[in-house]
Amino acid sequence: MSTSLSSRQRGVLALLSVPAVGFTVLMVAFPVAYTLWLSFRATPLGHASHFIGTANYARLLHSADFWNSIRVSLLLYVLSLAMELVCGTALALLLFRMQRMPAILRSILISPFMVPPVVVGMMFLIILDPTIGVANWVLGWFGIAPSAWLASPMGVIPTIALIDTWQWTPFVALIVLGGLQSLPPSVYEAARIDGAPPHRVFWRITLPLLRPTLVTALILRSVDLLRFFDIIYVTTQGGPLNASNTLNIFTFHIGFELFQFGYASALAVTLTALVFGVVLALNQLRRAVAW
Amino acid sequence: MPSRLRLTLAAAGILAMPFTAHAAAFNWQQYKGQTIHVLADNNPVGHMIETNRAAFEKKTGIKVEVDMFTEQQMRQRLVTVEDARSDPVDVFMTLPSREGLQFAKAGWYADLTPLTKDVAPDYDFAGLSPALIAAGTIDGHLTNIPVNIEGPALYYRRDVFQKCGVAVPKTLGDLPAVAQKLRACEPAMTPFVSRGLRDALAYTYSVFFHNMGGQYVVNGKSGLCSSAGLAALSLYGNMMKEYGPPGSVNYTFYQISALYRAGRAAMAFESTNELSNMMQGGARLHDTGITLLPPGPGGSHPTVIDWGLAISTYSKHKGAAWLLIQYLSSPAVQAANQLAGIAAPRADIASQPAVKQWLAGAPVRQEWQNTLAEMAKTGTSEVGYPIAQNPLSRQYFGDAVDKVILGAATPQAACAAADTKLNALIAGHAE
Repeated sequence: MSTSLSSRQRGVLALLSVPAVGFTVLMVAFPVAYTLWLSFRATPLGHASHFIGTANYARLLHSADFWNSIRVSLLLYVLSLAMELVCGTALALLLFRMQRMPAILRSILISPFMVPPVVVGMMFLIILDPTIGVANWVLGWFGIAPSAWLASPMGVIPTIALIDTWQWTPFVALIVLGGLQSLPPSVYEAARIDGAPPHRVFWRITLPLLRPTLVTALILRSVDLLRFFDIIYVTTQGGPLNASNTLNIFTFHIGFELFQFGYASALAVTLTALVFGVVLALNQLRRAVAW
Repeated sequence: MPSRLRLTLAAAGILAMPFTAHAAAFNWQQYKGQTIHVLADNNPVGHMIETNRAAFEKKTGIKVEVDMFTEQQMRQRLVTVEDARSDPVDVFMTLPSREGLQFAKAGWYADLTPLTKDVAPDYDFAGLSPALIAAGTIDGHLTNIPVNIEGPALYYRRDVFQKCGVAVPKTLGDLPAVAQKLRACEPAMTPFVSRGLRDALAYTYSVFFHNMGGQYVVNGKSGLCSSAGLAALSLYGNMMKEYGPPGSVNYTFYQISALYRAGRAAMAFESTNELSNMMQGGARLHDTGITLLPPGPGGSHPTVIDWGLAISTYSKHKGAAWLLIQYLSSPAVQAANQLAGIAAPRADIASQPAVKQWLAGAPVRQEWQNTLAEMAKTGTSEVGYPIAQNPLSRQYFGDAVDKVILGAATPQAACAAADTKLNALIAGHAE
């Protein structure tokens, strides 16, 4: 059977793809282009917007709140990502080793990431309440002093990272588990014959072979973590003292609480560029570690 | 919606009966067949609109579509629609103390002044709280009609005060000593709780500020760091830091209500709107007293605000929209609201038999009513700076208060940092 298409067939195929392409342009390209356009304009409420060049970008570069939000975003990103990768890999190894684990236990272990983040936020708001929350009550059993958790400027980012780790570790674990199941058994067979101890097998064989899988998990979590929003919105709204004011929360605040749409658009464009930049860099890394 | 609320609001029909005969001359059917769209907040006032919708539609022949969102999402939807100068919203709920100047400057409120002349004979426009009508009048334009009245009040545990032999503070200056005695007597209890969440605390902090004698703007400059302002900042910050619950910088109405309802706080400075939440379950109904925050060196200036109903400038159904507002703010509907715990912005509602009977049900209700009456008489709606950028001003001094609560700065340093931003904001060239 010939696989080459006639020019007429190619024309028909191109025509058939027009609705899909048009839909994509409308749904993706237009909002992005509109946000970019808006980022060069002043938007006084109730009045027509007007062009102000790069003033919104200059303003964000001179804003201490903007740089604070970048710092907070990156801190939360690094902390959450590190914990999720470590815990996710550990959970995946556990699931991989315990093939006979009851299905119900397996389901419970991977269930947190199926809970909506707003529900997670509300749940932890109650659990971590310094006065009536369960967390401090449990700490008290072990003689540990109560913590302010989300209400402490120093503790808020580690606490949010812990909440995110609780929720997204199972997601990372599922990806890593998929990677573990696809590793060639012959390598392990050879290691067993050579008498390699388990920890050496893990560090010298499993982990290097898992690198492409781990980078995939890294990319998927990076996109979410750099745009961190919902749990912070529910629990701290960026506080206390802007200590959890990520770039996305800051952008939302400027846009939808202060209604400065031009400036908020400039922040949104910056956030998008940041996410794109990190994803592109990680994509390069993925290619480098492929085997 | 709780069945109690539904039941009491349904009493509107009964309460409306005496007015029906007098209202015959007014043509409620003049806009029959029109459809109006209402943007509402998902709170008791918003639910009140939904509850009364069917009765209004039957009375007028006007179809009402209600879109209900949480407060912030409601505001986002409104801003999107109004900024596009489009007309999908005819009536919207508004918080004049927060966004009044901002939305008025944007030209989004239709002027209701001429419409108040076209009312049913039993409407009694003059019976609406003069303070709230004045607060809602901007540059001579009436921007909204109040549908409730609220303000922060001091909820306190009578039984605990009695057990500890402590009297309710008579002045602001007495507050720390009272809290200290309560702590010594009931160490497991939080002596005092109020709002600490940056964007929410302007509501409660403003009473401390005004009672201390503070004014937000003095001769075109920020008055946050006046001696009265600094005293207010020190007192509020220290009360929260020394006698408040741990983590109070994240506290807003729901944590405060939960703490008080659970019997874990001896004093809670929170909205009168939270009465039903605080009393939920009945545990606090007979051991709670309610009063105004005690006066300070500057006197007593309780915060009093309202949710109002406004008509969009771009509405094509202003007549029908006004009928809905008129109906929902009428004495009959507002009397029914009062029974559901939505305080009516009409002083004479309290004298209606059904309302009197409800108030007599527990002493705390009568105290709640008395507190609201006093707020209506002497209160101010100035919650934060009286400028279009009011929401941003709240954040700036909210940051200063939180710094003091957390011990991150002295009141002087926290205030000075906020004042620089506030002066730029007043001058109109701030972030």
